[in-house]
Order: sequence, then C-alpha cells, then structure tokens
Amino acid sequence: MFDKLQQSVDAAEKFGADFVEARYDDLTLRTLQRTDDIWKDIQIKSRMGVAITSYVEGVSGFSFSASSDTKDILIAAEKSVKMAKASAAVASLKLPFEGRDPVTSKKSDTKSVKKHPRDFDLAYKTDLVNRSVETAREFGDSIRNIRGLYGELYGPKYLVNSDGSRIEWNFLVTDLRCLVTSMTPSGDMVNGSEGKGGTYGLEIFDAKDTTPESIGEAAGSRAKEQLKAKACPAGKFRAMIENRLTGVLAHESFGHLSEADFIVTGGSPLTDKIGVGLGTEHATIIDGGKIDIEKYGGLWLPYDDQGTPTSKTTVLDNGTLRHYLHDRGTATKLGQDPTGNSRAVNFVFPPICRMTNTYFAPGDLTEDEALELLGTGVYAIQSSGGQVQGDGSFLFKAIRGYWVDKGEMQYPIREVSLSGNILELLSKVEGGTKELKISSGYFGGCGKGDQYPLPTGLGGPKLVIDGVTFGGEAGA
Amino acid sequence: MEYDSLKDELLSIADTSLKYATSLDSSAEFEVFLFFNSETHAEISQGVVKAKDGITLGNAVRAAKGKRVGFACASGIAIERVKLSVTEALGIVNSIKVEDERFQGFSDPSPPGKDGVFAEEILEIDTDFLLKSSEAMIAEAKSVDERAKIISGEASASWGGYAVANSRGVLQGSVFGDNGCVVQVQAIEGEERRGAFEFDVARDRVYKADGLGRMAAEEAVSLLGAKKLDITSKMRTLWTHIPAALYVLSSLGQSVLGQPVVEGRSPLNDKIGEAIAKSDLTIVDNGQKPIGLGTHAVDQEGHPQRKNPIIEKGVLKGFLFNTYYARAFGVESTGNCARGGGAFQSSNPYESSPGVVTKWLEISAGTKSEEDIISEVDDKAVLIKGFPLGIFHTNVSTGEFSIVAGEAFLVEKGEVKYPIQPVSIAGNFYEGFKNLTGISSELRPLPWGIENPMFAFDGFSVTG
Repeated sequence: MFDKLQQSVDAAEKFGADFVEARYDDLTLRTLQRTDDIWKDIQIKSRMGVAITSYVEGVSGFSFSASSDTKDILIAAEKSVKMAKASAAVASLKLPFEGRDPVTSKKSDTKSVKKHPRDFDLAYKTDLVNRSVETAREFGDSIRNIRGLYGELYGPKYLVNSDGSRIEWNFLVTDLRCLVTSMTPSGDMVNGSEGKGGTYGLEIFDAKDTTPESIGEAAGSRAKEQLKAKACPAGKFRAMIENRLTGVLAHESFGHLSEADFIVTGGSPLTDKIGVGLGTEHATIIDGGKIDIEKYGGLWLPYDDQGTPTSKTTVLDNGTLRHYLHDRGTATKLGQDPTGNSRAVNFVFPPICRMTNTYFAPGDLTEDEALELLGTGVYAIQSSGGQVQGDGSFLFKAIRGYWVDKGEMQYPIREVSLSGNILELLSKVEGGTKELKISSGYFGGCGKGDQYPLPTGLGGPKLVIDGVTFGGEAGA
Repeated sequence: MEYDSLKDELLSIADTSLKYATSLDSSAEFEVFLFFNSETHAEISQGVVKAKDGITLGNAVRAAKGKRVGFACASGIAIERVKLSVTEALGIVNSIKVEDERFQGFSDPSPPGKDGVFAEEILEIDTDFLLKSSEAMIAEAKSVDERAKIISGEASASWGGYAVANSRGVLQGSVFGDNGCVVQVQAIEGEERRGAFEFDVARDRVYKADGLGRMAAEEAVSLLGAKKLDITSKMRTLWTHIPAALYVLSSLGQSVLGQPVVEGRSPLNDKIGEAIAKSDLTIVDNGQKPIGLGTHAVDQEGHPQRKNPIIEKGVLKGFLFNTYYARAFGVESTGNCARGGGAFQSSNPYESSPGVVTKWLEISAGTKSEEDIISEVDDKAVLIKGFPLGIFHTNVSTGEFSIVAGEAFLVEKGEVKYPIQPVSIAGNFYEGFKNLTGISSELRPLPWGIENPMFAFDGFSVTG
C-alpha cells in the first residue's frame, strides 16, 4: 500500500501541489447490541479507502476513494489538486507550512495487548454482553429496559507525505456498556449506566472492576437508586464534578475552544489569549495521544492524520493559557510547536484540528477532603453528553448525583443539566482530587462539523467548583 | 456513474450480488443495500478556504436464518466488496446461536411510490460556484455592521442513489439530490460574543444565497447588549421556527418511532386515540412530498414511502415503522426505514443497520400571526431563536428537558423589549404539547426534514 500512496503523492505533486498527504485506512468495526432478550444488532463493517489532501500555497483540497485501484486513487489525487488551486485563488488567509524531516513508524507505535479482539470469535463477545445484561437484571422488578452493547474498532492506518514520511500503525478501541431504564411507582423513567472502553485488549473485561458482571451491577444498582432520587433544585450551587463529567468539561467546553482552526480565524474567545490567566491555579488542562492507558485509561494515538507524532500539550497551565491544539498550518501560522492534533473521522473526510485525550490534571485532595471543601451543594456524576457554543457557553447532562450538605451526601438526585460559560467557570475551580481517570470508547465520540463520531479520550479528577448553574424544576 | 443511469446500474449490481449470496446458501434469506453519493462542498471561514469533492460508495448485506440475523457492510460497491459483506453476514449467522426474537423476515415487495423532484441544474454546480456563493454571503454579512466580525459561509451540492434487493423479490431503488448554503456570523462587542446563522436548502431548485448574510448578521448584532433576566419562575416561552422544529424532532419525532414504541420506552405506547396535545395541533409525516428532503420512491429497505398521520387535532393517530418493528408490533411498515439517522443524516448510511426515522414532518399552521402571539403576552415571556443547547440531550422516555437558549429576548406587555443573556428552560415536552397557547400561521421548511410554525407554551421553568 505504501507504493500506491507514494504514487498518488508523486502524481499530485506533478499536478502542481506544493505538499501532499495520502492516507489509507483498512479498519474493521464490530458492534453487538442486545436489548432485553433481543439481539438487535450484530454487525461487522469494513471501512477501507484512500484519502488525499493536496496543498497549494497553504490552502488544502481534499478527495477520497473507496476503491484502492491505482486508477481511482490517481483520479482522487488530481481532484484534490484542482480543488486546492480553486480554493487558493479566493483564500485571503493561507496557512503554508515548511517540509520537515521524514517520519518512519516503528513496531512499538502500535499498542500491544494480550487479547486482541481479532483473535476472539463472536461467541466470546456475545457472552460479555450477556453477562452484563443478566447481572443488571437482578436489580428489581422496576426495570423496563436493559441494553448491553459491545463495540470494537481496529486495523491498520497508513500515511505517506511529501516529507517522505512512511507511517503504519494499528488503531484499536474496545468498549462494553450496559444501560438500564427503570420506572418509578409514579410512572417516571429513570436510568443507570456503566461501561468501560478505550485502547484495551479483551483482558480488560477480566479485570476485577471491569468485568461484565461489575458493569452490569453498577448500571442496575444505579437505576435502582434513581427510583428514590429527587429532582435537583434549579439555581446556582457549589458543585463537585465527577471524573467523567470533568472530562466532558475539559473536552467540550474548553478543548474545542483551544483547537487552532478556531484561533487563526478569530472564532474562539481564546484567540490572542496566550499567557493570559483564565482560571485558578487548580485548573490545568492537558491533551495528549500517548498516555499510560494501564494506569489512567484512554485512547492510544501515536500519530495524527497528517503524520505528526502526537505530544503531551499543556493547554492551560495552572490557570494560564499556554498552547493551542494544532495542525501543521496553524502551528506555523501561530509560531507554536506542532501538537499532532489533526485528525479525520474516516477516509471520507480531511483531517482537521481535533483533540486526542483531553483531561484536567489531578489535584491533591482526597475524596473526603473534596466533599468537605464542597460543603453544601451538588455532587454531579457521569454524563450523557453535552453541547457548547463558540463563546464558551455549555450545557451538559449529569446522569445522576447527590445533594451534599456540610460535606455529607444526603440523597440521590435525578439526571440534571449543568450550564454556564467555561471561561467564567475556570476562575471558580477550587481544587481537584488526586486520582486521574480517562474514559474513551467505541460508542459515541466527538463531533465537529459533519465529522462524527471520532473516538477521543477525556477525563480528570473530581473537581470542586464554586457556582455552577443547575437546571431542573424551578422552585422544586 | 451518471445521474440518469445511476438507479439502473445500482439495481443491476444489487441483483447480481443477491444471486451470488443465494448461491452460497439457499437456506438463508438475504438483503443487499447499495449506496452512492457524490458531494462537492466548499467553505470559507475568515479567509481560510476548504473544499472537498468525492463519491461515497458502500454496501450492506443482511443474512438471516430463522431468527438469526447478521449484518455486514463495506465501503465500495465493486462486486468483490459486496461479496465480502455477503460472506461476513453469512458468517455471523452460521457462527452464532443468539437469536433476535422479534425478527420476522425482510421487506415484502410492494409497488414503489415516487421519488422527490430534482432540479438537474444541481448536477452542474462545481467548486467555483460554491466558493462564489460563500464569498457573496460573507460580503453581505460584513456590510451590515462592523460588529459582525467572525463570518463563515459554506455551500454544498450532492446527488446520488441507493438500491435494495432481497430474497423476497424486492428490487427497488431511489435517486435523489439537493443543494444548500449556510452563513454563520458572530457579532462581537468587547467581551460579548453572540452568534446567529441563516441557510437555504432545496432539491427542486438551486439554492438562493441572496439576503442570507444580511439576515444572519442583523440577527447576531441584535443579540448584543444582552441583559440578565434575573428571574427564576414558570413563564410563557415563545419558540420561533428553528427551536420549535427541534422541540418536535427531539420529542414526538423520537417517541413515535417504532423502536421506542416496541421496546416500551415511549411514553405514547398506549395512547393511540387519546388527546395528547391541544386540539389545534395536527402533525403528519409525509414521505411523498415532492420537495421534501426525505422523499423517496422506496425507503432504505425497499418499502414504498407514504404519508402517515401522527397527531390529528390533538389526538394521537399512529406511529412510524420499518418492517422489523412493524411486524413486532403487528402492523404494516409505514415506509419509514432509513440507515444512519433521520434529521441529521450520517455520511456513510450503509454502515448502519435499518432503523426508523421521520421523513418529512408537516405541522399544521395555526390561526395567529407571530405578531399576535407576541402581542398576547400580558406580563413577561421569553422569546427564543436559534439552536438551543441540549435540545437533543433530552430523555425521550420521560420527556423531561432542560435547555439553554443562547438567542433569547424578553417580551413584556406584548412587545419584544431587549436581548437577554442565555436562559435555561426546563419542563416536560409532552406536558408542553398540552399547554400550547399559540401556533403561528406562518410555516417554514427546515433542513432537518420538518416544516413547522412558531409555538408558544405556558408552564416551563425559566432560569435567567
């Protein structure tokens, strides 16, 4: 495949491109989904194709082909150059970049695992789902619906570019989830969920806290607890945010603002804010593709889709903005180091500035100390996602939580939304706990433009924040 | 492939693939789906230009033996790629014992409906045309007010088709195409940033970019100088076309679909024939409206699309199904199968197994003008525009929602007074339909498969 990609790079250069990247993905995806006793979906997908980005005067043109025939690849190469030329004619802001030393991948760039999913049959994986669903089922008659999900995505990614880089590595993500819906005596539906995903072999589901039984038990018991949960009062309260929700805050509300394509166009409120204090000393946000997955969890990404090795980028350093997340053009434009954040969701799309694993750095509090620091307010846990706007406004859903009074958890609360503006919130972070947890997975993922779902990692410690707006019923 | 011959070519590959599948194992039932979409897209954001052009090709195969079902798909529609999917799908069925108790076979053949209209001028649209429209929208927005600072324009044109063949004799296809443009503006004054967007999308004509930049810029600038509402109480909320559309799509647009209905997660399960909304609300899903973006001769499992009533004068009339959920519910398919999303379509639909979606929701117009609805506000109300944060992160089972409206205005004593800082609005979608106090007479078609009026609701909690 390297030779075909090199041919397309050579052809696009002949057509007039200043720089060319040619990628090839050959990915396999498997999805298993059980709802109650029904096996709703057992799917296998093969995602194979070539993507070519050509640059003319720092302006890109992109094309792709689902065929790996040389003829089709060369047509895509020509199209990409034509579009780059048409775009260069009207672009008033160009993002040229210099060539650099070629990169050659190593075998160790692929994360090795003990039980690679390609070596295990479907029955092994349906058994994982069955075990989680059956365990969740033990949590009472109020259960109305149980969903068990397993997903895996793996396979080689190749890249050749005008630098002479030749990169090959294998992507891997596995994920097991359980979601339980129960009905309260008054007819309200409540939910409980748990899952484990990231760059793991199937051995992760043999580990004590992440067996299918542990996952099913967590989902079932949480749905059961929600039966007696109260609505969260609406208004502004002190809050302790659990690790996964902290990650959503780091990724959705701050991470996207730090993506440098929004910076070069002035679209982000973080534009021209390098060196500016935006948060308290407890607010440090990091993005990195190569993390200690055994220790923290997450996703293994040694290179981005421009062939730049990923790095560990401290975006916000004790409250001060230090760095943006770059592709090659934005890094040159803004005079910062490349960060390896140019990613594409699949071969049908060009790489754009995206995150890898984004997380708040841990603090020095124990969980008891964090609760004490919280005093009275809301302990918000897990997240079913959220949404942000370009000015830093956000709305996230916490799946569950507890009302805390004087450092003591009082009663469970239902799903609740948290909203605000990240730039205000960062100045109210009072502390974090010591443990860092990063989540990732096959299901869901990050969306930007029409590129969805891109697997990413996100996380952090538990954070104590003074003043978060919670939705819910007014006056409840 | 050319537009005129696309359907025939896809049908031919589907037929050949089905014959291959049957030759491998005549005891299995098969379904082959092929997808083709050619798209050209261009965008300009603050002078940065990006263009993309390519053809998405893919195939999906389902194999079944009794209640055992396997799904496999692959990028590409070359016969060897379809054969790969056939082999993988059959491999699933032969290697596992788990069964889908609800599965009762693939779609049966029926005469197709009609494809939507398509303006063939869309086939001529190229990157240069798209770039020029984007430039024009941006120039127009810039000319409105110097505070309209961050502006992006983008435009796209696409055409394609799909074909379905199955062992029951279905061999049907559809061709489609559309084009559209959107302009987004951020108005900035000091540290305050407010955003707005405008768009046009159509399948029966080339999009009209004129005026969109001006409207988006005026809207964004009008949001500047927002004051704090500083109220937490239950009050009237006025939802203009975009948020009203999203309200319907994220509530009824989900809970009338076959999956939550059959799985018992829809709160409407046992409410057919009951009044679930004010009597002036009527909603139809029309899969045969000629200019509807979701209109096809057949849905994505080869069943004819049609017009289906959902709510008539406030009374729940029906649900929407594909073959799988229809048979599980004991009814006929309503022709609402799609792969990979409804309102927000996936770029690779062949990668998703058949689901149920709305095709084109038509919500009946009311009798009051938007001005009347505003002038009827005695005390205070909040008027919202744009895309509320969190509208799709709501719970379909409960109907409970909590959103943040970034584009909001205070209405007081019948007049729109001033923009307000983002407010959170919480309540229950289904209760809301019962508390509708206003439906405007003006309808607007929107790109998410819906045509609707403005709504006014009483009883939601507003936190400023």
